[in-house]
Amino acid sequence: MSAIQANPQPAVFEEQAALIGADAERPKPRRSGRLNRSNLIAYVMLSPMVVLLGIFVWYPLANSVYLSLFEISFYEDPTFVGLQFYEYVLTAAKFWNSIWVGITLVLLVVPAQLIVAFLVASLLRVLSRHTSGFLKTTIYVPTVVSFVVASIIFVFIYRERGGLLNGVLGWFGIEPIAVLSNPDLALGGIAVPALWIGVGVTTLIMLAGMLDIPDSYYEAADLEGAGYFQKTWYITLPLLKNVWLFLLVTLVTATIQQFELPLVMTQGGPYESTTTPNLYIFNQFKDPTPYATSFSLTAALLLFVVLGTISALIFRFVKSDKAIDG
Amino acid sequence: MRTRIPNRIVQYVLVALIAVSCLLPLAWMAIAGFKGKTEVLRTPFQFFPDVWILDNYVAILNDPAFLRALGVTFVGAVAFTALSLAINSLAAYVFARLDFAGKRFFWIYCLAPMFIPGMAILLTSFVVVSQLGMIDTLWVLIIPGAASSLQMFFIRQFYLNIPVAMEEAALLDGANRWQIFVRIFLPQSQAPFVIVGVASYLVYWNAYVWPVLTISANQDLYQIMQLLRSFMSERSTEWGLLMAGSTIAALPTIILVLVFQRYIVNGIRIAGMK
Amino acid sequence: MHKRHTKTVTALAAVVAAGLALSGCTAGGDGNTTADGKTEVIFWQQKFEDYQQAWFKEQVDAYNASQDEVKVTYQVVPADTWDQKLKAAQAAGNAPDVATTSYGRIMPGVAIGQFAPLDELVDPDVLDDIQPNVREFVSTADGTFAYPFLVEPSTVLFYRTDLFAAAGLDPASPPTSWAELVDAARALTKDGVYGMNIAQTAADLGWSSWGLQYNAAGHLPVADDWSAADATDPAYIELAEFYRTLYGEKLMPQEAAYPYADCAPYGEGQVAMTACGSWAIGQLTNDYPDMIPNTAVAAFPSIDGDPTKPTSTLGGWTLTVDGKSKVQQEGADFIAWLLGGETEHLVDFFKTSGYSKYPARVSVSEALSADPEASANPFMQTVSEDIVPFSKAEPTYPWEIALSFATAIEKSMRGEDIQASLETANSEIDDIIEKQKLAGTAPEAG
Repeated sequence: MSAIQANPQPAVFEEQAALIGADAERPKPRRSGRLNRSNLIAYVMLSPMVVLLGIFVWYPLANSVYLSLFEISFYEDPTFVGLQFYEYVLTAAKFWNSIWVGITLVLLVVPAQLIVAFLVASLLRVLSRHTSGFLKTTIYVPTVVSFVVASIIFVFIYRERGGLLNGVLGWFGIEPIAVLSNPDLALGGIAVPALWIGVGVTTLIMLAGMLDIPDSYYEAADLEGAGYFQKTWYITLPLLKNVWLFLLVTLVTATIQQFELPLVMTQGGPYESTTTPNLYIFNQFKDPTPYATSFSLTAALLLFVVLGTISALIFRFVKSDKAIDG
Repeated sequence: MRTRIPNRIVQYVLVALIAVSCLLPLAWMAIAGFKGKTEVLRTPFQFFPDVWILDNYVAILNDPAFLRALGVTFVGAVAFTALSLAINSLAAYVFARLDFAGKRFFWIYCLAPMFIPGMAILLTSFVVVSQLGMIDTLWVLIIPGAASSLQMFFIRQFYLNIPVAMEEAALLDGANRWQIFVRIFLPQSQAPFVIVGVASYLVYWNAYVWPVLTISANQDLYQIMQLLRSFMSERSTEWGLLMAGSTIAALPTIILVLVFQRYIVNGIRIAGMK
Repeated sequence: MHKRHTKTVTALAAVVAAGLALSGCTAGGDGNTTADGKTEVIFWQQKFEDYQQAWFKEQVDAYNASQDEVKVTYQVVPADTWDQKLKAAQAAGNAPDVATTSYGRIMPGVAIGQFAPLDELVDPDVLDDIQPNVREFVSTADGTFAYPFLVEPSTVLFYRTDLFAAAGLDPASPPTSWAELVDAARALTKDGVYGMNIAQTAADLGWSSWGLQYNAAGHLPVADDWSAADATDPAYIELAEFYRTLYGEKLMPQEAAYPYADCAPYGEGQVAMTACGSWAIGQLTNDYPDMIPNTAVAAFPSIDGDPTKPTSTLGGWTLTVDGKSKVQQEGADFIAWLLGGETEHLVDFFKTSGYSKYPARVSVSEALSADPEASANPFMQTVSEDIVPFSKAEPTYPWEIALSFATAIEKSMRGEDIQASLETANSEIDDIIEKQKLAGTAPEAG
């Protein structure tokens, strides 16, 4: 280890900085004398975080990986089975079904969320200060509602008796629809509260990105006689690329991991149509057999791999086309 | 932006539509709390009750278990928020300003947990907290999640934008790093602390799965969402009461956001995002 | 300089290692002694109806007051979080010393050493007082692993005599075959009331339809020795069609607003007939007393009207001592006191339940039948004479198998192809058998 390190910026950070265009004003390298004196104080200040992450994240993770090589029993000695459970999980139709449910939920929620957020953010830009302040706060409110409360509200909204949705349909003489008991509709029924909770923050992030675009670009376009849609297509969208990318990755990974909504609203039914990957893992975890314990652990680790793959694919896909760099 | 009158009207209509769709479910929840047992499930459906009753709200606010859960969750959330801010801002400062041996390793070590799904370590972290004897104490809800990669990253982005000049002067005056952090960085941290702190508070207040696993014997420590969910399973016929309970459970977070709305709504400038 | 680095790094590593060692050490502590020097027994009880909770609490307090050696710490765990809590506690090596366990969980638990055998811990006379047929549910060749508390049939028919009369049906002759039940449901479905209510989600169908699976095919969807699936028996097509007719013709609620075990829809007057466990008698008696005069109870109809075929399984609860508990003797003593001792508080319990549950002990049954109030109770007679004698024990194969077959029923109800659904279940069950190596592991059928 050299005593003088010129700005050790790890690759991960490069990735991150590229991702969110962080104009990291990097600290200037200090004189070596000062540098060395930073060591001890740096370790002291960092130690709470390092120790906590070690105990509550890294050690459990290592332990999970280790335990996934065994058939676990809490009453007898665990049996070493090597990679057998990885094979079991990867060949389990229900595991892939849950991944598919997760992806379907992503397709139902994420594009809608991005489009709605973009439209609302565009509206916010042109509103008067006062009105936009009001609207920003309003769309942010659902964000703070917990998934448990949201589940309860929406179960009640969809109810056959006394439900808001079927009540409104009733005014038009439409027969009640049991949304959450219908395998074709239940996932859509879960997508609505997911969208409702998520759209506020997405909008505000999108707006933050829009406000960073210099007005001069638009003024130049105005001189060229560009219309609203042309400006949106040629200026706003390309310059928001980093924001889109950031949102896409975070929303996809968050949505595919959603499990409190289906847990409370449908318990994963009707017949697995709303069993998201995490709910599937959680249900396996609850099952009393030792087999299920090991299965659930391994499935969780594999989901981690699947999520990583999805994120990497999104990066690759978006990185590959060199857009205008704002 | 030139806005002509018809545009104005269109704008207001849109604003009203968006606001209604955001607030309608919450309004409906609160109103259902004012409905009696038969009214809440009546067909044909009515949005407003014929008779507004306070019974559900009175009953829920007189339920000692519910009040205790509100109190305990609030205390826990405040402690959790304070601890998170302390730990994560220290680490953020170190990564923003100091150079030290092994920085690269520790950076990855502190950032990568962002990408580790909680499910993958649910069972094994439970084993850890049991062996530490934390089960059924408030510690188990406060300590394990306090170190947060995401928050640390967010605060660090903010610290990177604080000009170096002030520190240079202080260093020349012989201040040490700790003093610089306390005297220069903390006073300027209000904005990121509000955003990150509110986020911490929400994470804690809205948590469900972890409390269910770790708080079982000690019913005095039941967290609010845990209580609400068991309420839903056990009193399946009392929707008015459940809605009143949900309203009360959601209220503190909504108030929190309204209080700090200025910071949150304008503070999301994704640290240096273009 | 270099040295200083390595020193700090080493120091830091030591801090982390200490933290890890701290978390890795198995100092769970004994935790079996209370502050005042008593031995502590942790007792987890799954949450039931309010009257049961009151009874348990009263008994635990009485036991703690009756002696000063042992303190039973009584913890109520909500049913919907029971499984994950128990599993997490087992993983951490601090499972409760005594717990409520249902019959279906006994044999799988015995197979992995989850329960302590009671033969050495409890007086043989107390064990011999268990009803012989129920004792089979909790025993293997190696001993007796649980002390039964009660049995309750899972599937009973409740119906509204007043609505029967109003619809021109005879309240004195309830339907006896599935076809008759469907006809009655059609006649009763009107004015916003559904004629029938029965389980509709796989999680509920999984256990509530075991009796009807036996009823239709004479066996469960697995070979007796668990060597292969047996889910494509044509008789199961008829079972699936029965459920499909009720749901598809909208003769029952279209959404599962309540779990099967909760008879609130009937109590609230939303349905004219309901299938529910015998415990619903207790729920109606305690929560919906106005419904009782207009309620009658009958054995659930049989596929062909033959009343001697099983329609129900005998579910219910036992108390078990954890296989790893450090206070097995104290735990067993508490169980023997609570369930195997005096009969008076048990008789009270069964009375409070509205005679909706049945004692699993010979002497308690005798004490109960000596009680004039009990013998006069019409519900009790129907259940104990028409239902219990023909009921089956709960199967002890992994829950996933039950769930897989129940999923086929649910798919049929919601209009999917019946044959295809059963075939899917069949291959899923075969897969479970293979991966969990179940072939030949079936406990000796009692």
